[in-house]
Amino acid sequence: MSDTPSDQAFDPVLLAVLSNRMDAIVREMTNTLLRAARSAVIAMSRDFSCCIVTGDGELLATAEAAPVHVFGTHLQAQAMRELHPDLQQGDAFLHNDPYLGNTHPADHTLLVPVFCDGEHLFTAVAKAHQADIGNSIPTTYHAAARDIYEEGALIFPCVRIQRDFRNVEDIIRMCRRRIRVPDQWYGDYLAAIGAARIGERRLEALAAQYGVTTLKAFVRAWFDYAERRVVQEIRRLPAARLENTTCHDPIPGVVPDGIPIKVKLEIDPVAAMIDVDLRDNPNCLPCGLNESMACAINNAMTGVLNCLDPDIPHNAGTFRRIRVQLRENCVVGIPRFPHSCSVATTNVGDRLVNATQSAFAGIGDGWGLAEGNTALTSGCAVVSGRDARHGERDYINQMFLMGGGGPASPSSDGWINLLIPVGAGLLYRDSIELDEQKYPILVRSLKLIQDSGGAGRYRGAPGTEVVYGPRLRPMRVVSAPDGWRTPPRGVNGGNDGTTSADHVLRADGSETKVEGFINVELAPGEFIRGRDCGGGGYGDPLEREVSRVLNDVRERWISRRQAETVYGVVFRDDERTLAVDEAATDEARKRLAAARG
Amino acid sequence: MRYRISIDTGGTFTDAVVADATGILAIGKALTDPERNFAGVQAAIADAAGQIGHDLRELLAATDVFIYGTTRATNAIVTQRTARTAMLLTAGFPDILVYRQGGKLRPHELNVDYPAPYVPRHLSFEIPERIDAEGNIVTPLDEARVAAVLDELATLDIEAVAVCLLWSIANPVHERRLGELIAARLPGVACTLSHALNPVLREYPRASSTAIDASLKPLMQAQLRLLERNLAQSGYTGDILVSASVGGVMHVEDMIERPIYLVKSGPAMAPVAGLSYAQLESLGQDVVVVDTGGTTFDVSLVRDGQVSHTRETWLGGLYTGHLLGMGSVDVRSIGAGGGSIAWLDDGGLLRVGPQSAGARPGPACYGGGGSEPTVTDAALVLGYLDPAYFLGGRMALDAAAARRVMTPIAARLGKSIEDTALAIVTVANENMIKAIQEITVKEGFDPAAAILVAGGGAAGLNILPIARALGMPRVLLPRTASALSACGAHFSDIVREAGASRYATTADFDFAAVDAVIDRLERELDGFERALAARGLTGFSRTLAVEARYAGQIWELEVALQGGRLRTAADVARLVEDFHREHERVFAVRDPDNPIECIHWRARLTAPLPRGAQQPGSDGYRSGTPGARGSRTAYFGVLAAAPLEAAVFHGGDLKPGDRVTGPAIIEEPTTTLVVYPGTTARVTPYGHYLCELA
Repeated sequence: MSDTPSDQAFDPVLLAVLSNRMDAIVREMTNTLLRAARSAVIAMSRDFSCCIVTGDGELLATAEAAPVHVFGTHLQAQAMRELHPDLQQGDAFLHNDPYLGNTHPADHTLLVPVFCDGEHLFTAVAKAHQADIGNSIPTTYHAAARDIYEEGALIFPCVRIQRDFRNVEDIIRMCRRRIRVPDQWYGDYLAAIGAARIGERRLEALAAQYGVTTLKAFVRAWFDYAERRVVQEIRRLPAARLENTTCHDPIPGVVPDGIPIKVKLEIDPVAAMIDVDLRDNPNCLPCGLNESMACAINNAMTGVLNCLDPDIPHNAGTFRRIRVQLRENCVVGIPRFPHSCSVATTNVGDRLVNATQSAFAGIGDGWGLAEGNTALTSGCAVVSGRDARHGERDYINQMFLMGGGGPASPSSDGWINLLIPVGAGLLYRDSIELDEQKYPILVRSLKLIQDSGGAGRYRGAPGTEVVYGPRLRPMRVVSAPDGWRTPPRGVNGGNDGTTSADHVLRADGSETKVEGFINVELAPGEFIRGRDCGGGGYGDPLEREVSRVLNDVRERWISRRQAETVYGVVFRDDERTLAVDEAATDEARKRLAAARG
Repeated sequence: MRYRISIDTGGTFTDAVVADATGILAIGKALTDPERNFAGVQAAIADAAGQIGHDLRELLAATDVFIYGTTRATNAIVTQRTARTAMLLTAGFPDILVYRQGGKLRPHELNVDYPAPYVPRHLSFEIPERIDAEGNIVTPLDEARVAAVLDELATLDIEAVAVCLLWSIANPVHERRLGELIAARLPGVACTLSHALNPVLREYPRASSTAIDASLKPLMQAQLRLLERNLAQSGYTGDILVSASVGGVMHVEDMIERPIYLVKSGPAMAPVAGLSYAQLESLGQDVVVVDTGGTTFDVSLVRDGQVSHTRETWLGGLYTGHLLGMGSVDVRSIGAGGGSIAWLDDGGLLRVGPQSAGARPGPACYGGGGSEPTVTDAALVLGYLDPAYFLGGRMALDAAAARRVMTPIAARLGKSIEDTALAIVTVANENMIKAIQEITVKEGFDPAAAILVAGGGAAGLNILPIARALGMPRVLLPRTASALSACGAHFSDIVREAGASRYATTADFDFAAVDAVIDRLERELDGFERALAARGLTGFSRTLAVEARYAGQIWELEVALQGGRLRTAADVARLVEDFHREHERVFAVRDPDNPIECIHWRARLTAPLPRGAQQPGSDGYRSGTPGARGSRTAYFGVLAAAPLEAAVFHGGDLKPGDRVTGPAIIEEPTTTLVVYPGTTARVTPYGHYLCELA
């Protein structure tokens, strides 16, 4: 590629201009969807993404989109072309089919083909996680579903939902009949179609300004540029073959032994290729945890890109240099119908990101990342019920009241608010007041947990504890938290973070632990407590800068006890000011190192 | 002769603008002295006074309006030099300022530390109490625990206390009681209560604004009081006004109560200036205003005669900084300006900024040791700047140095030095175009229908190609462009706002409750109005607005209550229709069957300051082509493949009505206007430059 750079002919200045314009269009689409949507999962937590795909189905522009949503959109654009040769201006397609390129059924994807001079030049895409999709139980994450029939989602295999810019009302009626709180769904649909149409208008204007020929040449040059960037980056890596394993924790009665996952990684700096092989993994399982093909690709890709320069653009040009090998009928591969992919974007997906990014740490100190929180606890459950404050109105929505400890890196502590590895810290948090206004709940507490981040030269971010419950009427809470047995692992001498835990707190003061799959009804006066995982640490805790440990104690991220026993940092006994006893610290660190043998 | 003086204290320069009843008379400039604020103020005023034949005391004695603007509060926040502040929060929720609202810009960037909260955790305290969404007390305030916390604060050398309790907007009883207890136990310690400062739904923005306000009180109150004393000692006896983030001015006593309004003081005046110039020249009510400095490029917007406001102002970076949490003039800043550095990334793409050569070492051509090419260096290479007449000849530029630092990039791009300089300016333009699009196109505003007003010393170098790319046919460059914000203060009004949260749905509109809320807001404004009337102000006007959303939506849109109070079904129907229209304009769709939820009510009082009418130039109006001082070779890229001879004019030679056709360069003492080929610049009746793009 770099030997025959086709973009040499393309003006590098215009390249910068047009790439900026493309990202600006994606941002405008994103803003439209965020501000106009109804459900908190979209409008407050930003669990959606927009992107632009070329007419021939290659991912072009993503701006700040979530990788889990957009890497793989090319599969959906291909499906649109193949299924609808009569594609025309004014069309829009609803696609949530995980066997046809979508992530998971809860992600309703709207595809709008954009025509310039009569040619299908781009596709504007808006994908949003719905508050409900008509599943058999009130959740969009049905981990216990044995197959798609038990899951119960309405599946739209790239179905035309607008023609000539007008709704195909049959499809709208189908959705309204089956999806819980249909007005909420319809409002979210309107916001998404608005976003895609705004993308369409802007792309048409861009083509009018620059001409179709120039835009086509730009697309080729932009892919080549991204490829050159990733090539440069891979050439800086040492050659390596790495293998890493992890395990999704058991779900009693569903996957009693958990799901082992293996990632094989080959870095070839000479050929400038990174190869991720996921074929040596179990067959599809009778549960909702199977990866869709899009998720198997994009979560492996995310694990790799988390270890490269974040400034590299992420498009089809980048992906030429990262190959993800999959096989059919595999839990992290190509799903075989009718296995369910209800939870494809998170649980096993999170394990895949973690296993891939921490495999890079196997190159040696200074490379890769530790692991991040894998639990979508009750703090991110789908809750539903009736609101007695507003005439017994039905409600259903996914909460975003977690934190999710981020992994430590070779040069920084973990990111608070990671949520989960596939969330990548991009999602917004719910406002407690707004949740309490919209839904009849009371949040009792929400805080970071001391000593929960994995110790290390760089520390994993702490996990979060949230306690909430229903007011006035019962409420159903559904979630599938992983990470309750196997915590996020530290790397290169770093310690593991803490495990997750969910407890139902009864009115009489008793507590019941829930493992793997939460599907409970709480009465008013009852609460549920979710604790997500702290992130894994990176490097030896005894090498952590003393000033960082001091700040951790002062800011209560860690206890004095952990500072002394794990980091070997000893403080003077003075109530007023916290000061390090340097001599005692040197000694303690030597003693702790010696005790390891 | 009575004068009005405005001051804008920036990071590098302090500007002073002196006006009288006929308009702006002089612009004074001096270096800002961060240690002795008044030294810079005094020197800038003295500079301006000298230009109109006065000394400082004479001028101040003959002045009756003094308006102060400063970036000091913003800088104190960004550089963490505010007061030692404690935060009191509802028990169970100690981490509101840590979490912020989530979100981050780069998905794959996991190797950066999480930013510290505005108030450190060890100075955040949990207060046992709880109120629910309807204002009921779930857990009473634990006064014994409060006493213990306040005792602890007394030992911690705290200078300010911020209090933000959940749902204090629905029932402020616990916050009020805390305020009393703090005043009693910690006399002399500044305190801000969230419901009193900023009664908005959502705990993070409210807590953040409360913490920022409290933390600014000791420093900014002291600074403003010192300014009062210094001015009095220099012979000034009139009112002191301060420019506020809301785009108006406030009396200094009011600012001392709520110093958060000092954030963006200064830059918030740029759109006020832009609007005034556009109105003066009859150029319409839709204005895009840019202000190009050495390191930052600020953009703001006037829509239908109204300066655009936002509630999403971040200090120190989107998501990772601190949310102002209050409405303010929507001024967006990007790191781009004359000092922005050009570089090639390892994919071979040319990038400009966000790094800047700043004032030191400055661009290479300043001769201060700058070794990397900047936008100013590129402008010099292209012939836009005269090395011998920069800043009216006050500073010589080193053209050879500018070419030298551009050589490595030119070699890697395989381009000539001039083409490289063109590429640098083009990419810099692109960053600015994107910033303008963010605030226009992204907000559903078509820039092509607006006038572009360009301010800042460096604006004239590249504003015309930027306008061309945005499809904007007309650009106004005020002759006073280099002090746009300080000029804006002369056109500003006194503005006071009052707001309250009260839920109401148009499906079942609670007329009595909403009317009671608006009554309360009106009474609050009545109080402001009486105080202002006592100072002799007249001509008050009021507006009402509501932040509303479709049932079930999360985010609100602000809609003006065109008909005032909502007392009949017809009033509500009009609001509903106005909301649909606004929603469709911004988001491309409307949902006509859905009721509207009203969340936050807002009332605004405006009192115009006495101001003279700007007079057209006294030299009469002529329609001709003036004589040029000479010409030089300049490069314009796609507009003209070969270098062209551009006529060079000095602004002082030009008279209203004069017309300059590109390629040409107009040099003013504090700014330079490059008239590109295919463009005409005309001197307006008021002496500004109106450029028209063919």
